[in-house]
Amino acid sequence: MGVNIIKKDRTATINPLKTCQPLGAMWAVTGIRRAMPLVHGSQGCSAFVRYCFSRHFREPSEIAVTSLHEDAAVFGGRKNLVEGLQNVAVRLKPDIIGVITTCSSEIIGDDVIGFIKTAREELKGKIGEEAVEKMKIIPISTPSFVETHLKGYDNAIKALADHVAEPSQPNEKINIIPGMVNPGDIREIKHILRLMDLESIILTDISDPFDAPLRPSKTELKPYYPKGGTTVDEIADSANSVGTISLTKYAGSGALSLEKKYNVPAELGPIPIGIQNTDQFLRNLKKLTGQDIPDSILDERGLLIDSMADVASRYLFDKTVAIYGDPEITSGIARFVGELGMEPKMVLTGSKSDEFVKDIEKVAKETGAEIDTLVDQDLRAMEVYLKDNPVDLMIGGSDARLTAKEYDIPLVRVGYPVYDRVGYHRRPIVGYNGGIQLIDLITNTVLEKYYEPEHWKLQQ
Amino acid sequence: MPFKLFDVSKPIPERKEHTYVKHCGDPAECLPKCNSKTIPGSMTERGCAFAGAKGVITGAIKDVAHIVHSPVGCTAYGYGTKRYPTTTEMPDGSIFPVKDFNIKYIIGTDLQESDVVFGGMKKLRQAILDTNKEFPFVNAIYLYATCTTGLIGDDMDSVAKEMSEELGKPIIAFNAPGFAGPTQSKGHSIGNDVLFKQLVGTTEPPATTPYDISLIGEYNIDGDLWLLKEYFKEIGINVLSTFTGDCCHAEIGWMHRAKLSVVRCQRSSTYIAKMIEEKYGVPYMKTDFFSTKYCAENLKTIAKFFNLEDKADQVIANRMAKIGPELEFYKKKLTGKRAFIFSGGPKSYHLAIPLEEELGMEVTGVSSMFEHEDGFEKMKDRVKEGAMVIDDPNALELEELVEDYKIDLIMGGVKEKYLVHKLGIPSLLIHSYENGPYIGFEGFLNLARDMYTSIYSPVWNLLEFKETEEPDIPNVEEEAK
Repeated sequence: MGVNIIKKDRTATINPLKTCQPLGAMWAVTGIRRAMPLVHGSQGCSAFVRYCFSRHFREPSEIAVTSLHEDAAVFGGRKNLVEGLQNVAVRLKPDIIGVITTCSSEIIGDDVIGFIKTAREELKGKIGEEAVEKMKIIPISTPSFVETHLKGYDNAIKALADHVAEPSQPNEKINIIPGMVNPGDIREIKHILRLMDLESIILTDISDPFDAPLRPSKTELKPYYPKGGTTVDEIADSANSVGTISLTKYAGSGALSLEKKYNVPAELGPIPIGIQNTDQFLRNLKKLTGQDIPDSILDERGLLIDSMADVASRYLFDKTVAIYGDPEITSGIARFVGELGMEPKMVLTGSKSDEFVKDIEKVAKETGAEIDTLVDQDLRAMEVYLKDNPVDLMIGGSDARLTAKEYDIPLVRVGYPVYDRVGYHRRPIVGYNGGIQLIDLITNTVLEKYYEPEHWKLQQ
Repeated sequence: MPFKLFDVSKPIPERKEHTYVKHCGDPAECLPKCNSKTIPGSMTERGCAFAGAKGVITGAIKDVAHIVHSPVGCTAYGYGTKRYPTTTEMPDGSIFPVKDFNIKYIIGTDLQESDVVFGGMKKLRQAILDTNKEFPFVNAIYLYATCTTGLIGDDMDSVAKEMSEELGKPIIAFNAPGFAGPTQSKGHSIGNDVLFKQLVGTTEPPATTPYDISLIGEYNIDGDLWLLKEYFKEIGINVLSTFTGDCCHAEIGWMHRAKLSVVRCQRSSTYIAKMIEEKYGVPYMKTDFFSTKYCAENLKTIAKFFNLEDKADQVIANRMAKIGPELEFYKKKLTGKRAFIFSGGPKSYHLAIPLEEELGMEVTGVSSMFEHEDGFEKMKDRVKEGAMVIDDPNALELEELVEDYKIDLIMGGVKEKYLVHKLGIPSLLIHSYENGPYIGFEGFLNLARDMYTSIYSPVWNLLEFKETEEPDIPNVEEEAK
């Protein structure tokens, strides 16, 4: 029983399970109403990320780039950023621009804050002083060679807390930092908040921007801005909320900043996946808002419990699972499969994180399982591991689909990225309803794979 | 006025030179400005030189391990993103142990802050050793510079040389950092250059015939190569090397042994064909295999070079008999439909005339992310009076042209696809295809079918709620009879 850390045995990264900071920042900025991410880097830095977002969400992902070339590498990117900011401001008229750095602009050492100032001055002559004053331009430092995409997301949310949040009148709202979860997850969180009769500020809300209706008559065009997203005013108002819950401890800097500067109490994680984590989320909500947990939510809890009672012991008990992905989601799912009576045999994350190990230790204690734990590792490590240690089920994103096929292990797709199936960005895995979705998905996958279709066992 | 400034681009008047509207009386030199630096913040669809080198040129090779010397992002983005399938068959009859190895694995150095400060060469060396241990069966290791390694000045060539001697395995460095050049095209040319200088002339093929060609610039997108290879086989022409679809490292080395270089993607690979002609005297031919007419013409021209015209005629007749009737159906359905082609490069001129002449469509405009002047000359030649020829169109311009030109179908990439849908317009993936292959006879039928299914999908008649009546949805199958 316990956590068995499997150490990385090579220097090279093979098939990474993480990407660099700027992607996380572009994700966060997309969740703001009429926002434009402006990547200060080479064109690949925006093009690749747009490709990845569009592939996963099947939605537009409009992101501007300053197009750094050789001259910028030599003389600095001042001209590119100042000109880029002005072009974005004049042509796209966003409410807010998030200036996202990259490895190149960080290495060149561009003075992003100074360049933004210059651009603002020059813009006054073009769109008028008032429009410039109204338009937020936020520097988000995301050096690609430090940590992962999750840090980039965290840095972006912190930049919003530091540069946009503004104390005024207390507002009785709860701030939610969702982390890098899907539109379906954010919608489920909003559903829970509605049942609790709570008003909220989501920092930031990608649920509509990355899952937007196709309704030409109602679509903002030239430029296209997706429906929804958190407004700049709401972000400003986040300084006046009764509390902030970050669904992940890997995106807590913004919450801590609001706590330190404006006395907005913060709770970080755990992600509400499964029974116990969702229970904790509700207790946190109650603690921060004083609001009672209504019966309607407890009925939803009851539906999940009912489903667990009905199917878990019969179909899922003792099935071994390999789980991989972002640390918070991976440890959340590990705990949930433990609640289902399954055995989380291997967990893998691409991030370097002691917190992750602590979370897994807790799951090991609860389940009595020995959990092989790979931290700061890659998908190749899982492929090698599974060769000698087969499991009954894999849970994670599309990037390991070929490994699943190679070993003939069924794959339950969750999180990001999922591009070889449709609809996963829309289906929640958080909250009790997300738990119901997950248990159905897991059970049906097990039935498909481990039960003969004509077998009498499936008759009732 | 042959040049047009979109209303949405009035604040960046430089865009006018990039947006040409065809006027038949215009002098030849009247072309959109191209292959120049992108205007910062203009919402370009362009990518970077690393994408051009690894993503386009070398990522299709089946028996090579690719190490991206970068912070983790470039490695993650270089992973399995392009539809370049590979088989396990090697030219000497042996079997490579992993199918789609090129799609399945990517390796990176995952550079950290300390590497940026102190240099990443040590880590690169170790990554090469790790790779060799992990995948001992690969026949070469390719290294890629990125923005970070370009800026910190890691000398990859020296690492490649040193480690190649140590391991006794070819190790090739590609110095195409993301910021090099205005588009991914710079990465194509660097890729060509490195492969020519370091590989061509270094190996000998297991066997040769008098009918050997190098098929250059054919990357096997969605299986394109396999279709073309069938045609050549039936004609009696032997594809000795492919650059680089489903090819192996050694094949590049014997490209000089072909009797003829056949250039398929003229933008990304004419470079190497030219260099091979200059150094080894192998003539090259720029070709065009999209559509039945171009495919037939070009197969004949190549066959003529080898005195195999009769065989080519047979292949053409056989394929036309197979696809002709179905293609007729699609022509009937597509006639009069207005298309806009936004390709990376050559597909804009490959497809303009076939769409009009073979499928009765109207090409309202063509554009390209990274074409150069020679490509734009062809685009201009092959579109009708009044059609647009645009370099590097941006998202806002795309919106405006959809509105102004009443377009029925936009052919572009995945970055544009979903924006186009939000405008209420069908789209078709033309870089990596919907349900390809799209090349050759059967491929053109696939393309026609995909255009038909995109345009005629019932969804486009159901976009808005009608309060008082059911929408009138024509039954497309009935109508076609």
